[in-house]
Amino acid sequence: MPGLPSSVDLDECISRLYKKELLADSVIEAICAKTKELLMKESNVVHIQAPVTVVGDIHGQFFDMIEIFKIGGYCPDTNYLFLGDYVDRGLFSIETISLLVCLKLRYPSRVHLIRGNHESRGVTQSYGFYTECSRKYGNPAVWHYFTDMFDYLSLSCVIDDKIFCVHGGLSPSIHSIDQIKIIDRFREIPHEGPMADLVWSDPDGERDEFSLSPRGAGYTFGAQVVKKFLEVNSMTHILRAHQLCNEGYMVMFDDRLSTVWSAPNYCYRCGNLASVLEVGPGGERKWNVFDAAPENEAHRLEQQQQQQHAGSDPVRDYFL
Amino acid sequence: MAANGVETTKAGGTQGTTSRNGAWNVTTRKQPILKAEPIEALSNELGIPIPEMIFGDNIVSLTHIKTGWSLEFNARDALDKVSKTEEGMLQVAVAEQWKKERSHQDEVKQVVKPFDWSYSTDYKGSTHPGEALGAWEQTTQERFPIRTDLLSRPDPILFFDTVDLYEDELADNGIALLSVKLRVMPERLLILSRFFLRLDGVIVRIRDTRVYVEHATNKVIRQYTAKEGSYDHVQEKLRQMRENVPEAFRDANKLAPLLKTVEDMTDVFEVH
Repeated sequence: MPGLPSSVDLDECISRLYKKELLADSVIEAICAKTKELLMKESNVVHIQAPVTVVGDIHGQFFDMIEIFKIGGYCPDTNYLFLGDYVDRGLFSIETISLLVCLKLRYPSRVHLIRGNHESRGVTQSYGFYTECSRKYGNPAVWHYFTDMFDYLSLSCVIDDKIFCVHGGLSPSIHSIDQIKIIDRFREIPHEGPMADLVWSDPDGERDEFSLSPRGAGYTFGAQVVKKFLEVNSMTHILRAHQLCNEGYMVMFDDRLSTVWSAPNYCYRCGNLASVLEVGPGGERKWNVFDAAPENEAHRLEQQQQQQHAGSDPVRDYFL
Repeated sequence: MAANGVETTKAGGTQGTTSRNGAWNVTTRKQPILKAEPIEALSNELGIPIPEMIFGDNIVSLTHIKTGWSLEFNARDALDKVSKTEEGMLQVAVAEQWKKERSHQDEVKQVVKPFDWSYSTDYKGSTHPGEALGAWEQTTQERFPIRTDLLSRPDPILFFDTVDLYEDELADNGIALLSVKLRVMPERLLILSRFFLRLDGVIVRIRDTRVYVEHATNKVIRQYTAKEGSYDHVQEKLRQMRENVPEAFRDANKLAPLLKTVEDMTDVFEVH
């Protein structure tokens, strides 16, 4: 692939990442630079065709992402659309985003990545990705490479002109898809405005219109907002992620909106299921629900044994 | 029977231990987060939206076996103590700027019913009297101390557990977490229910309820300590201490000594 140094072999990177090995920071730098070039050409609204498997929040739960490929098919045999929140919270944000970015570079028309609210400098400093980068690489350089690249991620996807896919939800500033296309997205996610709303907002099943959050920032959107948006844009469904669901997914507003959640046993302690949504060639939707990968437990025990070996008991502590 | 004559049972997410003199039992139950329907029911019952991670089936309970008296910690009762009015309501750091810049000020006026979305609770557990007489009585640490000297001894820990009750990431403006830790030693036990709030750019708040029992007595000593500090103040102190600031901000144990105590009370229940 032009632009990537000849020393970087994508297929080799991918096979190493499937084994959860880290890439060298110089390789990450080159890959992020190349990904920026690729993403720059994408519209804020990427039009794709079914069949495609849609994935919600992963949050660095690497083993569970591999589980998705095991049950849903590997790239490029299965087309994938990832709805953002690849990093933070889980133990393996770097491995997760590295693999996704390499897959995107290798199969650009079969893998699509859009931006979640965690693909941001601000949020990743508080929720783990920054710390993980500093710890695993000894300095935050790779965090800069990744977060600079995040500024180029697209904001939404439309499947077969019918299903609108976004990380968070709708915005009071956006009535038609064309209004998304004119957002200047190549920047850090701002605190307010349509770009913030697309990655932050949540549906509210008890309301019809937009409401302000009691937190003082952010919106929820109701049934009539969804109905109107779909009518104006001649679409049938909104598919988004962003909210934890114990069952792995949630369907609302008379089947006009669904939430897909792809991090099972979230934060390694919620005990929830996860899912991916398989959109078929005729637009049919099939939920593929899955549980946490067994490797998580094996890894946890391994870590505990290491700590016990080092003389500390990670389970019991003399708290006061 | 496990070592030291303490009985430990474990079945389907439930674990328990009885002190060797047969007087006290501690039981925990850990289950996955609630499903959509129970969440809706709980939300309707309490009149507030439910935190993102709600461990509604989790329980920690301390029981006096002879009388059936118990002190229980559960998410429902803790959330019932969250303010359902605008009183004391916090706003995220960007709220002022957000309101000024918001481009749709005329169209969106409807504010979701106000409540304390930081889920701050002064929950001290739920008391079920069973056959017991008596009541909680206000006292002091001087009269009924939680013996940290005895608790600091490396006595064997016969039963240990941590049980989360709820957690919310405040739409990525920080964290609100209520969780309960407990440890049972041969002579005594300690339960710590901790509410931890970090609202980025605004405030850090820790509200601890400690429950202490000497197995040989019929007294339950309970201390409630509320601490707060402004985010900027805590950040400055962490920098002075050359701490890794983002990491320290996730660790309530590191933050607690940097906060100011705003409330501290002790009460005791003599069960008989």
